[in-house]
Amino acid sequence: MVIDLQKCVGCDSCTVACKAENRTPPGISYNVVLEDEQGTFPNVRRVNVPRPCMQCDEPPCVAVCPVNATYKADDGTVVIDADRCIGCRYCITACPYGARSFDFGETYSDEMQGYDDVQSPEWGVDRGARGSYKPPVGTVRKCTFCVHRLAHGEEPACCETCIGDARYFGDLNDPNSKVSKLVADPRAYRLKEELGTKPRVYYLR
Amino acid sequence: MSIRTAASTVESIQAGNHTDGRVRRNKPVWYGFLGVVMLATAWPVWLRLSEGLAVTDLTSQMPWGAWIAFYIFFVGLSAGAFLLSSLVYVFGMHQFERIGRAALLSAIVSMGVALAFVGFDLGRFERGPITLIFFHWTSPLSWEVRFYVIYIALLTAELVIALRVHKRMVWSVKKSLRWLKILGTVGLPLAIFGVHGGTGTIFAVVKARGMWFGGLFPVIFVVSAMVSGTALLILVHYWQSRASYRRPSKSLLNGLGVVLSGVLAVDLGLLFYEFVVPLLASEHQDLSIITVMTTGPFWWSFWIVQLLCGMIIPFVILVVPRFRANTPAVVLAATMVVIGIVAVRFNIVVPALIPPIIEGYPSNDYFPTLVEWASSAFFIAGGMLVYSLIAEWMPIHEPDPVDELEEDSMVSPEKEVKA
Repeated sequence: MVIDLQKCVGCDSCTVACKAENRTPPGISYNVVLEDEQGTFPNVRRVNVPRPCMQCDEPPCVAVCPVNATYKADDGTVVIDADRCIGCRYCITACPYGARSFDFGETYSDEMQGYDDVQSPEWGVDRGARGSYKPPVGTVRKCTFCVHRLAHGEEPACCETCIGDARYFGDLNDPNSKVSKLVADPRAYRLKEELGTKPRVYYLR
Repeated sequence: MSIRTAASTVESIQAGNHTDGRVRRNKPVWYGFLGVVMLATAWPVWLRLSEGLAVTDLTSQMPWGAWIAFYIFFVGLSAGAFLLSSLVYVFGMHQFERIGRAALLSAIVSMGVALAFVGFDLGRFERGPITLIFFHWTSPLSWEVRFYVIYIALLTAELVIALRVHKRMVWSVKKSLRWLKILGTVGLPLAIFGVHGGTGTIFAVVKARGMWFGGLFPVIFVVSAMVSGTALLILVHYWQSRASYRRPSKSLLNGLGVVLSGVLAVDLGLLFYEFVVPLLASEHQDLSIITVMTTGPFWWSFWIVQLLCGMIIPFVILVVPRFRANTPAVVLAATMVVIGIVAVRFNIVVPALIPPIIEGYPSNDYFPTLVEWASSAFFIAGGMLVYSLIAEWMPIHEPDPVDELEEDSMVSPEKEVKA
């Protein structure tokens, strides 16, 4: 994924689309837009940095999982198996991007009718209704790059909804893809590159 | 005199001991106290089990809190108590012989309490045991779970042998003592590198967090384990002796005081390096955590509880020979150290998670909820209860018969066998 920060207006619609698509409970948002103010008045500017999961090639969260519940899948995404995760939250401490969340079992059912009746088929697994102590409750959750949408040939919800077309989704392994060309741009950088996590999300500054 | 008659003489002396009545009257007070604490805190424990981790002050940005702090605190107590027992069984320091079994039992019970804390902290605690099935070699936590199990098994074996030697229920005292030495020797690297160094490694490998990440951390863990374990045994010996109306051994407390002052000095030195390196290098991530620790809302837990009460005052008490010879002063120092180490554990876990993980995130703030405090009290009281019951049932604290008769002049194992 490539995100062009010059085109991002900070409208947070990616966050909204993500919540709607993945039906994440209160307190969990797979995507957030970080707002960073740079400089001192009057020479200030604000940079909006949308932050999905970086789907790192060297994911520190995966390295620390004691039971292999989270792993790097063949398609390049970092997956969590909600049927194996023990909820120790070690991976949350290890993620340098704050991209992981713990499902405390909270629900919107008080303010949103039928919220518990259906869950998003994350990682392609249909889990039916949301229960009070039924996985993924009590486990760690994260951005999946909407793999259930990718399976239908659709883009992740955040990319599809972006009003400024700031997000590009594609195959970085294909040298002719649009994302590969964008990544070759001198504007391209990655978050906390110095940690050696090799994120798969690039930004154009 | 043969050992058997010596042992029976002591037993008969103890049986007719006039203090027995007072000991019996003390017991309901102690067990009543533990029972009241556990009953009062049973409801919060149930709340956590039924409502999940939502009853804590934890969030997705603040994933670890009080229970993890208590978990590493009790792992430290356990490793420290075990390392102290190795002074007796591996290095043959007879002046500490009287607390050998108490040290082993404290180590086992502390480890049990630690596992209770970390299990209670799991989002899905019923899946805890699968950590033994699935192994991930890059995860220190995965190694730790295995080390803990081996460690508890080894400690239990060692305690059983030590008890049988004490009761002279062994074929050969000499062979049993050699077995104790072998198990203790295997246990040393297991406790240092596996159990406690390894628990430090859980934090040390997290490159996303300042202050945790780095090679000094596991070393600090081991040294502070020695600090807390030694202090714990001073308290166990003192209060057990008081409760059973025996006189606490002055020479033993003095010896433990020397050990404690030594490890405290090393601990202070390591703390100095832990702070001076990021300060001089002005490492921004570490600095933000140091700022939280020293000037944040819980500055007092660092300056007053950890540094003043947990390290400096006890160190002064223990290095001045006049204070060290004074039993109440040593007990006071040990109490302060144990409380200080609780703060050390909290200051390890909490401040590192407070600054925003990435620019643009808000700072976290965390203070354990009543449920977190109360359930912690439940597990701590539970550990004390288990320890007391086992100590009642098995001769953990009884002085060795031979020592008693020979008026504290320790008999080496070789001599014992000849007699």
